[in-house]
Amino acid sequence: MAQVPLAIASHKRQVCSLYKRALRNLEAWYDRRHDYRYRAVQMRARFDENRCKDLGEGIRLLVCGQKELFETKHFQPKTFANSAGGCAFEREVIPPDWLLDYWHPLEKAQFPEYFAKREQRKQQYVVWWQKQYGKPDPKDLGHH
Amino acid sequence: MSFTQIARNCGRLAAALGTKRMASSAVVQSQAARMMHRIAVPAVANQVSQKFALRSYSAKRTIEDIKFRVLKVVSAYDKVTADKLKVDSHFINDLGLDSLDHVEVIMAMEDEFGFEIPDSDAEKLLKPADIIQYVADKEDVYE
Repeated sequence: MAQVPLAIASHKRQVCSLYKRALRNLEAWYDRRHDYRYRAVQMRARFDENRCKDLGEGIRLLVCGQKELFETKHFQPKTFANSAGGCAFEREVIPPDWLLDYWHPLEKAQFPEYFAKREQRKQQYVVWWQKQYGKPDPKDLGHH
Repeated sequence: MSFTQIARNCGRLAAALGTKRMASSAVVQSQAARMMHRIAVPAVANQVSQKFALRSYSAKRTIEDIKFRVLKVVSAYDKVTADKLKVDSHFINDLGLDSLDHVEVIMAMEDEFGFEIPDSDAEKLLKPADIIQYVADKEDVYE
């Protein structure tokens, strides 16, 4: 998943994330569009009000905002169909690419051109990987 | 003809007279037209579907399609001046949006295309062209 945090998120990113979640929370509470827009504009004004505060104050406000969001969270938030919590989440399972490597040789023999090309692509990928990240340590090769 | 059939026919006539308020000769015609309408329903539907041949649910989307929708959503955002907007214009540098505006644009994209864009991807989508490419990748649309 793309949502695995690989780095510590910056303050700006956390504020943007909080703003987005706050708007989605308002959207869940106010299902009439004009009501939602009114609340959204008010929320935007609250964020804009604290735009020029220094970082220490900003961090304190961020924590307050996250606490407020937690306390006012909707009991049944709207989610997109294909994202976690949605009605079609993981409904269609896309088989991973490596599955093709575990086909029986007789099955592979039915698509000779494709699998020949696939071997070439794997070689190219190894070359690309070594160019990108360097030669792998021989200790790390092979299964444990 | 049984009594009930006669009664039913009289009722139909009365209904036709009551609604259309026509002379009795015209009533026969209008009744025929009504029957014709019932018979001819598939034919009419056929004509309609030929005229509006766009209604096919399995139609493949194109890049142009996505581009049109992305630009439409961005130009509908009230802080963007539509004549400055191009596919390659940077949201923050060229169009003068700030990061919270950018969040709102990305949310509008999510609503338009119906899937969630995680924050880590959203911060890289700084031009309409990036969004078009991202949506095309998500929906398996190629050149």
